[in-house]
Amino acid sequence: MFQLKWIFDTVDKKYKPWLYLGLALSFLTSLMMLINPKFSARLVDEVIVAQNPKPLIGILAMMFCAEQLRQSLRYFMAMSLEYASQSSLNHLRTYLYDKLQYLDADFFRHNRTGDIMTRMSPDLDMCRHFIAYLTYTTIDSITLFAATLFLFFSTNWKLTLCLLALLPALLLVTGFYSKRVGPKFIQARDKQANMNTAAQENISGNRVVKAFAREEYEKDRFEACNIEFRDINMDINRTWLRFYPVIEGVASFLGITTISLGAIFVILGEITAGEMTIFTGMSWALANPMRNLGTMINDLQRFGTSANKIMEIYYANSNIKDAEDAVDHEKMIGNIEFRNVGFSYDGHEIVKDLNFKLEPGKTLAIMGPTGCGKTTVINLLGRFLDAKEGAVYVDGCDVRKWKLEQLRRGIGCATQDVFLFSDTVEGNIAFGNTALTEEEVYDFARRAGADAFIRKLPEGYDTIIGERGVGLSGGQKQRIALARALAVRPAILVLDDTTSALDMETEFYIQQQLRELPFECAKIIIGQRISSVRDADEIIILEEGRITERGTHDELLRNRGYYYETYCLQQGITDAEGGEA
Amino acid sequence: MARNKFDVDEELEAPFQLSHLKRVLVYVKPYAWKMVIALIISAVTWCLSLLGTKIFQWTLDIAIPNKDIRMVLQLALLNIIATALILGLVVVRGRLMAHVSNYIICDIRRDLFAHLQKLPFAYYDSRPAGKILVRVINYVNSVSNILTNGIVNTIIELIGLVLIAIFMFMTNVRLSLVIVAGLPVFLFFVFLIKPMQRKAWQRCSNKSANYNAFLAESIDGVRVSQLFSRQEENKSIMERLSQACRHEWLRALYISHSVWFSSQFVTQTVFCFLYVTGVYWLSGSMVSFGVIMAMGDYVNRFWGPITNLANIYNDFVNNLAYLERIMETMDEPVDIDDAPDAVELPKITGELSFNHVTFGYEPGIHILEDFNLHVKPGESIALVGETGAGKTTVVNLISRFYDIESGSIDLYADDGSGVRPYGVSAVTLNSLRRQLGIMMQDSFIFSGTILDNIRYGRLDATEEEIVAAAKAVCAHDFISKMPNGYYTEVSERGGSLSQGQRQMISFARTLLSDPAILILDEATSSIDTKTERLLQQGIAKLLEGRTSFIIAHRLSTIKNCDQILVIGNKGILESGTHDELMERKGAYYQLSTAQK
Repeated sequence: MFQLKWIFDTVDKKYKPWLYLGLALSFLTSLMMLINPKFSARLVDEVIVAQNPKPLIGILAMMFCAEQLRQSLRYFMAMSLEYASQSSLNHLRTYLYDKLQYLDADFFRHNRTGDIMTRMSPDLDMCRHFIAYLTYTTIDSITLFAATLFLFFSTNWKLTLCLLALLPALLLVTGFYSKRVGPKFIQARDKQANMNTAAQENISGNRVVKAFAREEYEKDRFEACNIEFRDINMDINRTWLRFYPVIEGVASFLGITTISLGAIFVILGEITAGEMTIFTGMSWALANPMRNLGTMINDLQRFGTSANKIMEIYYANSNIKDAEDAVDHEKMIGNIEFRNVGFSYDGHEIVKDLNFKLEPGKTLAIMGPTGCGKTTVINLLGRFLDAKEGAVYVDGCDVRKWKLEQLRRGIGCATQDVFLFSDTVEGNIAFGNTALTEEEVYDFARRAGADAFIRKLPEGYDTIIGERGVGLSGGQKQRIALARALAVRPAILVLDDTTSALDMETEFYIQQQLRELPFECAKIIIGQRISSVRDADEIIILEEGRITERGTHDELLRNRGYYYETYCLQQGITDAEGGEA
Repeated sequence: MARNKFDVDEELEAPFQLSHLKRVLVYVKPYAWKMVIALIISAVTWCLSLLGTKIFQWTLDIAIPNKDIRMVLQLALLNIIATALILGLVVVRGRLMAHVSNYIICDIRRDLFAHLQKLPFAYYDSRPAGKILVRVINYVNSVSNILTNGIVNTIIELIGLVLIAIFMFMTNVRLSLVIVAGLPVFLFFVFLIKPMQRKAWQRCSNKSANYNAFLAESIDGVRVSQLFSRQEENKSIMERLSQACRHEWLRALYISHSVWFSSQFVTQTVFCFLYVTGVYWLSGSMVSFGVIMAMGDYVNRFWGPITNLANIYNDFVNNLAYLERIMETMDEPVDIDDAPDAVELPKITGELSFNHVTFGYEPGIHILEDFNLHVKPGESIALVGETGAGKTTVVNLISRFYDIESGSIDLYADDGSGVRPYGVSAVTLNSLRRQLGIMMQDSFIFSGTILDNIRYGRLDATEEEIVAAAKAVCAHDFISKMPNGYYTEVSERGGSLSQGQRQMISFARTLLSDPAILILDEATSSIDTKTERLLQQGIAKLLEGRTSFIIAHRLSTIKNCDQILVIGNKGILESGTHDELMERKGAYYQLSTAQK
């Protein structure tokens, strides 16, 4: 039971006592179940059979107190376990969340959002259920069963042995059942994850769904998942109902046997009527644990399935993490060097033999056809990918020897695919630097050419923008993303196609602002427009992952290669005219 | 723009009404017969199990005093038969109920999802995706139990309660009165706590929705968080949200457990009274030993259902909060829906007109005012202008993603008897959007193969047609180079694809849908100029005869359009061909020269 140790370890130290207290109370209160039957027996023998009402009040008072005490302790037990389980849940939520935040792109490529959500929500709830409920029902059942046996043996061992004869058959059936149903629980969980994913993608992609009027198709797709989930649940139920009669039958048979044999034993004079009430009154204490065995096994199996899924994240290893001998850098200066850098993915070469240097205050531009590896360069720089060949140096130190946080804090990146969070505009701009004052936020927004339109929003900077910035135009999103990147005052500023959705005038304005930043930084600009790259100190043309041309705007024009061609296309000039450019 | 974000609790718009419950019962109705059968079975089972109690009593009162072992065994046999019958019936009932409950969940979820499909962008734009998701998945799971077992068990327990009361009173009236006496006290406890409990669970569901929303967004935006080293900050937000969940959960449980505790208290008190009264009567030798033992059993049987009812009630109150959320979502008004008398839009010709259109996303803030435009079939229209001027708005109105405040937008279509205009709000949404090919700025990629993603444009497209579309947009080359070609799995939002590649795929998807009107909103902004030029040549043939709207910032890409509209100041600043506009030396001329 590795899962068991694991889940108990997730309970916070401070709450461990609650866990143990809860478990101990579960044990104690189960034992206390045996007190009242003893009193009941006395009640029958001394009061009812003897027709003597005198001891009645005393016995009843004892019974009442004992039961109330037991119930109070039960209440404490339940709450203690709730405390413990919530502590575990809380720990797991934050720990897993934090873990997720540091996992590399590879993990997210292989795990869909819906899958991860399933783990972080229903699966975690199963773990909570385990500590808050399954633990004590298990202890209850075992304690009660054992204690009742003890009580029965001490009352009359012959009768007890007769009753026990049924046990092995029951265990056999239950074992068989758990083997059958286990794989089905795993299936059911996966079906739920599928359904989760279908719904989640539909919600995130609702614009595309509507644009293609694919509502019916989406409904069918979701319906398929919905029905699969329904059917697997019904299947589990059917399996359960096949075993249920056997388990329940044995348990009921136990009750009947107790009454009949008990009666015979009374007639034969083996036991008193009062002793018989111990047997009849407590026969449920033997039968119920047997009955619960099935549901307990169901729950345990489901817990195991969920726990395994969670542990996949809990123990997941990121391929990209701080090296043990990572060097501490107080502040990044912004010297970049790519030395013979190569990267391949699944045997496909993405980039190769990249060599370039960049100093603070200088600008490097990268241009090239779609899919040529431009973004990979940025990923290598920010260590979202590790180079397979060569090395990337920042301030003379291999990025693999940088502490990830320090490295990434030094890089301000406005990415191609703008992801904004459902927060206020101000919150989004201050995303990487929450210490920013209001004035500073306005200043960076102004530099990114965003101030004017933000002020026109219904609540200005306090307007909450939807997830991914829905409701804003592409150009507006890009400008907020740019302000966000500037706001961290990075030593390296990366603009990955940041101005593609902007009109020329705004782009021109932003370029001017970038020249007058209040901090010094090395700039890397990735772009498709000549206008965005022409002023760079060096322009690199990347084709199929290799540098095919490099130089300044003028040099590259003279080169008459890719750059020149693009230039002509964008200026709408033919080759003949191109000569004068 | 009253939007919701992850750490803002959603206010329920309507308090709980009994009508919610009535509407939920609609889902139960198709399975009413199954539930009735289940009920009958339960009643029979109940009687059979009461027989068990009688047998117990006979054993004590008749068999033992008479020392009749034969009778003991006969009674045991009778009991075994009864139990076997019960078991068989329980299995049948279990199957029925499993069927009903799983089907009901499935039905509710289907309707909820279908309703979500009808909701406008504004609904999705105004709250985090995670908050919608929990309603479809988690909440529906939670309410199923109260609708199935909750209903059936309530009825069963009530019937049981009545039956047992009859048996009790038949056995001994006075003792029975003692047993029933505890009831008012108990009910007082339950109803006192109820409103507190419901509120507590509502808060709980709010907090868990917040948690889920933040989580979903964090997973989607994980790269940005990593990029900005925001992890510590995010972690503390998560801690706060998680703590809030814990806090509310424990609070709700304190209350729930109190109900349970008080029910136990009452049961015990009644039990004691029973014995006291029983024995005092017994001393006057009024009741037999057997009767008092049986009455002890009846206490459990009477109070058992009551405790169960209390539990069901508890469960019901707990899940009410979820039920309310589901109902609220189903009640969410469908702002943009087919008009009651909507007609199918016949095949459109590509001609369309905007007549005095006024529109704004927020009341009072107009984006377009008195906007007029007429487009002839096959014309290519370019929309240029500052970011945020309303270019995307114009094309969104054609597809009726939003409804206009005043004016009309007409598409011309041929219904066989001649071409006439159809207002976009007078035709069915499906027939309208199906004929439009819209490529949006945000190129969403679904998880699945590239082939599936392109096929999304036209579900019955053959593989050849898909490849042809990919070739036209110059995507074929890079797709063929991928590990599994067209069958390469891509993750949602594109994962391993570059932005430009994603644009090409969604472009191919749009082309495949074979629209009469094509709308390209920044369709090629991330594609390099050379590829873009090839792409334009590739699709030139496909575009022949189709009306197209192109929004672009690189003016070189739209130079050859039939009509260029400069959008600004809530309308069209100027329009004409490239040459005309250049001669005018107005806004377009300025834009154009800025690009050189």
